[in-house]
Amino acid sequence: MSPLESKKPADQETLTVASPQDPSEHGRELSLAAFTKQLWQRFQGAMLERVSVLEGAVTDLLENALSQDLRLRAEGEAHKLAGSLGVYGYPLGTDWAREIEHLLEGNAALLPAQVRRLAELVASLRPHLEQPAVENRSQCVEPTKCLLMISDDVELVRRVAIDAPARALHVQHTTFIGLEKSLDTLPAIILMDVTASTKPVDALATVAARWPEVPLVILALHDSLANRVEVKQWGNQAFLQKPASPSHILDVAAKTLQTAGSQNAKILVVDDDPLILAALEVLLASQGFKVVTHADPLTFWQALEETGPDLLILDIDMPGLSGMELCHAVRNDPRWSALPILFLTAHTDPQTVDELFAVRADDYVPKPFTGPELLIRIRNRLERVRLQRSLIETDALTGVATRTKSEEVLTRLLRLADRHHQPVSLALLDVDNLKLINNREGHAIGDSVLRTLGQILRHSFRGDDVVARWSGEEFVAVMYGMTRSDGVQRLASILATFQQKKFSSKDGTAFGSTFSAGVAEYPADGPTLKGLYEAADGALRQAKMAGSNRVLPAGGDGNRPSVANHVDVVLVDDDEALTTLLVHALTIRGYTTHCLRDGPAAVEALCGREPCLHAKVILLDVSLPGLDGFGVLRQLANDQVLRQTKVIVLTARSLEKEVLKTLELGAFDHIAKPFSMPVLMQLVRRAIEV
Amino acid sequence: MPNRHILIIDDEEDIREVAQASLELVAGWKITTARSGSEGLEKAVSEKPEAILLDLMMPDMDGMMTIGKLRNLPATQHIPVIFMTAKVQASDRQRLTKAGAMAVIAKPFDPLQLHHQVSDALGWSRESSGI
Repeated sequence: MSPLESKKPADQETLTVASPQDPSEHGRELSLAAFTKQLWQRFQGAMLERVSVLEGAVTDLLENALSQDLRLRAEGEAHKLAGSLGVYGYPLGTDWAREIEHLLEGNAALLPAQVRRLAELVASLRPHLEQPAVENRSQCVEPTKCLLMISDDVELVRRVAIDAPARALHVQHTTFIGLEKSLDTLPAIILMDVTASTKPVDALATVAARWPEVPLVILALHDSLANRVEVKQWGNQAFLQKPASPSHILDVAAKTLQTAGSQNAKILVVDDDPLILAALEVLLASQGFKVVTHADPLTFWQALEETGPDLLILDIDMPGLSGMELCHAVRNDPRWSALPILFLTAHTDPQTVDELFAVRADDYVPKPFTGPELLIRIRNRLERVRLQRSLIETDALTGVATRTKSEEVLTRLLRLADRHHQPVSLALLDVDNLKLINNREGHAIGDSVLRTLGQILRHSFRGDDVVARWSGEEFVAVMYGMTRSDGVQRLASILATFQQKKFSSKDGTAFGSTFSAGVAEYPADGPTLKGLYEAADGALRQAKMAGSNRVLPAGGDGNRPSVANHVDVVLVDDDEALTTLLVHALTIRGYTTHCLRDGPAAVEALCGREPCLHAKVILLDVSLPGLDGFGVLRQLANDQVLRQTKVIVLTARSLEKEVLKTLELGAFDHIAKPFSMPVLMQLVRRAIEV
Repeated sequence: MPNRHILIIDDEEDIREVAQASLELVAGWKITTARSGSEGLEKAVSEKPEAILLDLMMPDMDGMMTIGKLRNLPATQHIPVIFMTAKVQASDRQRLTKAGAMAVIAKPFDPLQLHHQVSDALGWSRESSGI
C-alpha cells in the first residue's frame, strides 16, 4: 500500500494546534514537508547505496552467478527501501522495492520472466530516486474506497472503521438495505452481516440485485454447510464466520477487492517514445494491469483489434498520425466508440485541451506524469466504464453480457481468429425444464436458477471469452482458441458445477437443476456467426432429445440408435457406485456407455470373432470377479480387439509391476484409483481422438 | 490535556527521524527514540512512555524478542506496543497480535497520518491528540 493511500480528504482532518510558533495546520504540513525533504537530502546517498546492492545482485544474476549471501543481502536492502521510500514521496519506489523483495525471497531459482522483471525494476529505481519526489501530495492521493457494512453489530462496525484507513478503505454503515440512501459514493465492496437475518438468502439476493458488480463479503454465524451452499450461489464472494476480528475482516475485504474489479483490465499504450512505453509498461504491470505497448501509429488498428483493450492511452505527438487523429477515428467506429481514451500530453494550453475534448478524449495527463496520478485517472475511467457496462450492457438478472453487446464482440473475435488461424468455439446452453420450474415454483425461483447459472458462467470464462444471455433460458459462451472438443470438456465441467447447486422449492425441499448444451467450432461447423449458432443449436437439440443434462459437439451422428452395439465407452467394473459416477460423467460429455460387471461377461461381450459389443474405449478394472482385468486384457489382445479399441486400465494401486504389465499387454493407458474424474475424462477424450 | 509520550524503537536512522518529526511536529507529542531492542528496553523502563512504536526487523534483538521482554518486565508489561513493518500480511498480523501488539502499522507510513494511526490504534480520541 502506498503511504499516501490512507490520507483522508481534508475535511475529515481534526488536527489541533501543534505549537504556538506554528499555529496553522498548513504551516505544520509545510514544515514537515520541508523536514522530510531535508531528510531525503541527507539519506538519498544511503538509499542509492542500497540500490547499488540490488544492481550488483542483478548483474550477478544475469551472469548466473548470484550467491545466496548477496541474494539475502539484496532482499534485506529491498525490504528497507520498501519501508522507507514512500515516506519521502516515492510511493512507486516502495511498490517496486516490495516487488523486488518478493522476487528475491527464498532460494529457488528465478524463472527467465522473473529475472527480466527483476532487472527492469532494479533498473528503474535509480533514475526514479534521482528525480524530485512527489511534491504535491493532495494531487496524487488515491481516494480511499468505500466499504459498505450492512450489519446491526454497531461495535464491530466501529472497530472495523478504525482499522479501515490503513487498508485505504473507509466505512459506510447501514443497518438495513434501503436505509443507505445517503451513500455519497458507490461502494467498492460490501460486507454483509447475515447473522441477525431471518432470511439471509433473500437479503443477499436484494444486495446482489442492487449492486450486481460490487464484490461481497458475507459474515455469517454458523459454518453449516447448507448455509454456505446457499450463500455461495451469489458468486464472486468471500465467506467469513463470526466471530471474526476487524483486521481479519479487512484482510479478506482488501483481498476480495484486489482480485475483483479492474485489476485484470487490459490497457493499450501507443507512443513513439520507447522510454515512455517501457516506463508505462513497468508501472501498469506492477499494478496488475495487462499492458500492450505499441510504438507505430500506422499499424495502430491492427494492434487495437488484436488487443481489444479496456482502455487506450495515446500520445499526442507522434510521427505519421497524431494521437488526435487516431482518437477521432476510434470514436467514429461504432465498435470502439465507448472505449475510454486517455492522452499523455506535454501541452496543456487551453487550445490543445479544447481540441482533445473535441475529438472526444476522456481525459488527459500532462507530461511529465507521475505514476500515482496516472493510475488514479486510469482507475477512475475504468470504474466508470464498469459502472456503465453494468447498467447498460449486462443482463440485469444474470450479470452476463446482453445479446447486442456480445454480437459486437463476437464479430471481432471471429475476425481475429481468421487472422491468427485460431479456432473459436461457440456453446449454446439451455436450462433444462425451466418452464416446469417456473410453473411449479414460481418465477422468483426460476430467476434464481438463471441467476446462479449466470454467475457460474461469469466466473468460468475470462479474458477473451464472451458469455451472454441470448434469450429467456438460453446462454451463449464463446471460447477463443478452443476447439470443439475442448469446448465440450469445459462446458461439461461447468455442468457438473451447476448440478451441485441446490435451490429451495416452495415446500422447503431442495432441488437441483441442469442444462443441455451444443458446441460448434468456427469455421469448421459454420463460417459465420449465424451459421455457427445454427450448428450449436442443432447439437443442443440432439442433447435435449438424448435426455437433456449433457453437452454434445456439433456434427455428431445425432440419430445414434439407443440400443446400438456400438458405444463410445464400455465400463468393466463390479463397483456399482463407481460406475454410476462414471456413466454420469461420460453422459454429460455426450458419450454413449455400456456397463459390464465381471470378467467373463466382458470377454463374452467384447471378444470373439464377431463380438456383440463394439467400443471406442474400454475402462477396465483390474480386480474383477471371475476373471481379472489382466485376463480380460490378454483376451482382448488375442482377439485383435485392441486394434480398434483403446483400453484404459483402472488399477487399485499404482504398482510399477501392475502398470508395466498392463502396458505390455497393450493397454492404451492406466490410472490408479482413487482418481480425479476430470483427469480420467481427459484420458478418455485423448483415447477417442487419437 | 496531558502531553503524550511515545517511544520509537527502530534501527534505521531515517525512519526514526521522520517518525519523530512527524509525531512531534504534526501531533505535538513528546518522542523518545532508541536504535535497538536493548536500548529500547532500557528507555522503556527509565522513561515509562505511554506507548511504544516498535520496528519488527532489527539486527540482534528483533521486534518479536523485544516485545517478549517488554511483556515480561513488570515496569513495562502494561505499555501498549504498536509494530511497524513493511511486511504486513494476514498471517503476520495474527502472529504479531498474538505476541501482544495492539496494532500493526504498515511501512512506509504517511508522515501526515502517522499520529492518526497511532491514536486510532490506542483508542485515543483524535481531538485530544494535541498539546
